[in-house]
Amino acid sequence: MTQMIQILILGLALGGVYALMSSGMTLVFGVMKIVNLAHAAFIILAAYISFWLFKNISIDPILSIFITMPVMFLIGVLYYRLLFASRADNPHFTDITVLVTFASALVIEGLLSYFFTGIYRSTNPDYATKPFLIGPFFVPQSQVFATAISILVIIMLWLFLKHTRVGNSIRATMQNRNAAQVVGVNVAWVSMVSFGIGLALAGAAGSLLSFIFTFFPSKHVAWIGMLMSLVVLGGMGSLMGAMLSSFLLAVIASYVSFYLGPSWAPITFYLALFLILLFRPQGLLGKKVES
Amino acid sequence: MGTLIIDNIVAGYGSGPDILRGLSLTVESCKTYCIIGPNGAGKSTLIKAIAGLLKPRAGKIEFKGELINGLRADQVLQRGICYVPSDRSLFPDMTVKENLRMGGYILRNSKLVESRIEEIFCLFPVLREKSSQMGKTLSGGQQQLASIARAMMLKPELLMLDEPSLGLAPKVVQQIFSTINSLRQQGLTILLVEQNARKGLENADQGVVLDLGTISFERPAVEVLLDARIQELYLGKRTRPLQVEARK
Amino acid sequence: MAEITDSTKNSKPLTKGSKLKNKVILALMIILILFPILQVTRDGYNYWLHMLLYVFLYAIMATSWNLIGGFAGYISLGHNVFFGIGAYLSGMVFVYLQISPFLTAPLAGILTMVGGLLFGLIALRTRGSTFIISTIALVLLVNELLDKWKFSGGTNGLPMSMIKMDGQFAKIPYYYYLLVIMILALLTSYYIRHSKFGLGLRAISQDEDKAEVAGIPTRQYKILAFGISGLFIGMAGAIWGSYLTYLRPSIFLPVNIGTTIVLMAILGGKGTVSGPAIGAAIMIAVNEFVVAKLGATELNIVVTGLILIFVLLYFPDGIVGTLKAKDRLPSFLDWG
Repeated sequence: MTQMIQILILGLALGGVYALMSSGMTLVFGVMKIVNLAHAAFIILAAYISFWLFKNISIDPILSIFITMPVMFLIGVLYYRLLFASRADNPHFTDITVLVTFASALVIEGLLSYFFTGIYRSTNPDYATKPFLIGPFFVPQSQVFATAISILVIIMLWLFLKHTRVGNSIRATMQNRNAAQVVGVNVAWVSMVSFGIGLALAGAAGSLLSFIFTFFPSKHVAWIGMLMSLVVLGGMGSLMGAMLSSFLLAVIASYVSFYLGPSWAPITFYLALFLILLFRPQGLLGKKVES
Repeated sequence: MGTLIIDNIVAGYGSGPDILRGLSLTVESCKTYCIIGPNGAGKSTLIKAIAGLLKPRAGKIEFKGELINGLRADQVLQRGICYVPSDRSLFPDMTVKENLRMGGYILRNSKLVESRIEEIFCLFPVLREKSSQMGKTLSGGQQQLASIARAMMLKPELLMLDEPSLGLAPKVVQQIFSTINSLRQQGLTILLVEQNARKGLENADQGVVLDLGTISFERPAVEVLLDARIQELYLGKRTRPLQVEARK
Repeated sequence: MAEITDSTKNSKPLTKGSKLKNKVILALMIILILFPILQVTRDGYNYWLHMLLYVFLYAIMATSWNLIGGFAGYISLGHNVFFGIGAYLSGMVFVYLQISPFLTAPLAGILTMVGGLLFGLIALRTRGSTFIISTIALVLLVNELLDKWKFSGGTNGLPMSMIKMDGQFAKIPYYYYLLVIMILALLTSYYIRHSKFGLGLRAISQDEDKAEVAGIPTRQYKILAFGISGLFIGMAGAIWGSYLTYLRPSIFLPVNIGTTIVLMAILGGKGTVSGPAIGAAIMIAVNEFVVAKLGATELNIVVTGLILIFVLLYFPDGIVGTLKAKDRLPSFLDWG
C-alpha cells in the first residue's frame, strides 16, 4: 500500500510540470487554432538558455525563469508576426501551422545541436539530487519545487485570464472569435500576445525541466509526442483539460514505470492518444470538433 | 442624434464577388429601419460593413458627418454604433455578467463598466436573475436579450440587429420586439435586418428592400407591408385582402 | 487548387506535345534500365547505383505519400512507419525462416497495406491537425515498441546476412527491384489520378463536407488511399532492409525520414503525379551536393527545415504545381 501511494506521489510531483508544458500549447490552439509542434523544441531552447545561464553566470534555474519567460515571450511575438499573422484567414491555416511549426522544430534542433552539440545536459542546482522525506515516502526535491512553481505559474495565468482586461479579451477570443471582434477586441493583437504568452509558458517549463530531466537537441521529438497526447487527451484549447490530462497521465505513467519499467512510460502517452481518438476525439474537456 | 449616410458602397468577402453593388441609403436619426430581402442579397454584409467588420471596396459611409468606412470595429463602436450579430454570439463559457462586461470592453474604466452593468440590469431585469449563469446555458430568447443588452452597454446611438427573431418561438419573438420597441422609444436609431419580414416591418418606421446588392425599394414601413408586390415576394401572398380591396 | 475537371474521359488524340512526351519518358526508361550494364561491364559505378537506389526509394515513398497527402489532402507526418513495418516483416522472416526478402517483399507490402487500412479506420475519423498528430504518434509508438521487442532485436536491431553476390554485382538486383516498384508506384498514382476514385479524393481535399453531400463515399475513399499508400512503401522497406543488411528502428523510423518524404512531395508538387518523384530526385541531388561541399553537420536539418518552411509558405504548389499553373510545365513531366 505504501508503495502504491509512493508511486502516486511521484506521479503527482510530475503532473504539475506536464501541466505547465502543455498549457502553452493548448492556449495557443484555443486562441488562434495554431497547432505548435515546435512547442517542445521551444521548451528545450529555454532549457538550454537556463543551462547556459547556470553554467556561465551561476544563475539558479528557478530564478532563470525571470529571464526565460520574457525572452521567450518576445521570440513568440516575433515568430508569430513573421510566419502566421498575415495568414490567419487562410482556410487551411491550421494544417499550415502544423507543418511550418514542425519544420521550425527541426531548425531549432539543428541550431541547438550546432551550438551545444548533442551531449546530454542538465543543470545541477543543489536541490536537484536531494529528496524530501515525509514519513515513509520520498519525493525528489527538484520535482516538488518544479511542480509547485508550475502550479504557481498556472494560477497566475488563470488570474491573469480571468481578472485583467487583456486576459478577458484572450478568453473571449478563445470562446468566440467573432463575438470578440464585435465587442471591439483587436483579435489580431490578441493572437500575437497569446502566442507570446504560450511561448513564455514554454520558457518557464524549460527552465524547470532543466534540472529534472537531462536534455539534448533531439529530445523534442519524444516530448512533442507526450505533449500531443496531453493536449489532445485534455481537449485542444482547454486549459482545464490540459491540467486534468497532465495529472492523470503523469500518475498512470508513474505506475506503468514502476510495474513495467521506465522505458514503457512513453508508450502510455501514445496509447492514451489513440484511445481518446478512438472513443472521444474532442478530448476530455474539448468542444465537439468542427472541421 | 446621428444620421448614417451610406453612399454607393461596394463590398464583398475575401477575393470573392461583390455582394453590395453600389448601395446607398440614408438612415435618419431616431428612426427604426427594417431591411428585408432575399437570402444572399447582402443584408448581413451591409451591417458588417457599417460595423467595421468588413472593409468596403468602394464608396463611403458617414456617421454624424464623419467618414467611418475603413475604421476598425472598435473605432466604430467608439463612435456610437453597436451591432448584435444574428447568432447572438455570446461568450459561451462566460457568465451573463462577464458577457456584459465584455460589452463594455472598449471603455477602459472598470468602475464605469460596473455601473453600466447595473443600469443594464435595471433595463433588463431578467438578466439580473441570470447574471451568474453561463452564456451557453441560456435559452434562445434569453441569449438574444443578453446580446442586445451587451450591445447597449456602450449606450449606442445607432443599434444594428441582424435577424433578432432567428430561431425563436413566436411568443419569444414578441418579447424581443417589445424590448426593441422600448429602445425605440428611448430615441435610439435602429437598423434591423429581418428574415421575418412582416414582424420586422410591423415594428419599424421605414421599410427597405435590399435585393442583388442594392436598395430596390424604400418606403415607410406600413406602405411596404401593404404593397402588393412586396407581399407577394416576401410576405406570402395577399395578407389583408379585405383592406386592399376596400382601398380600391 | 484549380477547379476539378473530369479527366476520366481522357481520349485526346496524340498531339505533337504528347508524342514528344512519350518519347522522352521512353528514353528515360531505357536509360534507367540499361544503366547497370555500365557497372556490370566496367565497375566503378557503384556510387551512382547507390544514389539512384536512394532516388528510387524516396520517389516511391513520396509518390505513395502523395496518394493520401496530396490527392486527399490528409497530411501524414509519420508515413515512414510503413517503411519500417515492411522492412521488419520481411527482415524477420528472413532472419528466422530464411526466406529471401526478394520473395517476401510483395507480401510484406500487402500486410503493410492491411495495417494501413486498419489504422486508417481509426485515425481517419479525425480531421486536419488531429489526424497529423495521430500519424506522428503512430511512428513514435512503433519506434518505441520495436525498441523494446527482443524478438526484433530491440534498439540494436537485427543483422541480416548479405546476398551471395560479388561486390561488383551486389547492388544490381536491388536496383531493378526498386526500379520496378517505383514504376508500379508511379503507374498506380497515374491511374488513381485519372480515375473516379482520384476525382473523389480531390473533392475531399478541397471540401470534404461538400464531397460527402455530393455522394462521394469519403470514408471508404480515404481509408483506401491511406492503405494503398502503404503498399509500395512496405515493399520498398523490405528490399531496403535487405540492401542495408541491417534492421534497426533508428534506420527506418526516425521522424526526420517522415518529414523528408513530405518535404519532397511538397517541393515537387503534391497533388501531381510527377511532382513527388521530381522532388525526391532534386532533394537528394542537392543534399549530396551540400554534404560534399560543407560536410555532414547539424546544419543540414536546419537547412531542410528552412527550405520546408519557405516552400510551405511561398510555393505550396511545389515546382510542378507552380510551373503547371503558369503553363510552363514541360509536357514530359505533365502526368496529371
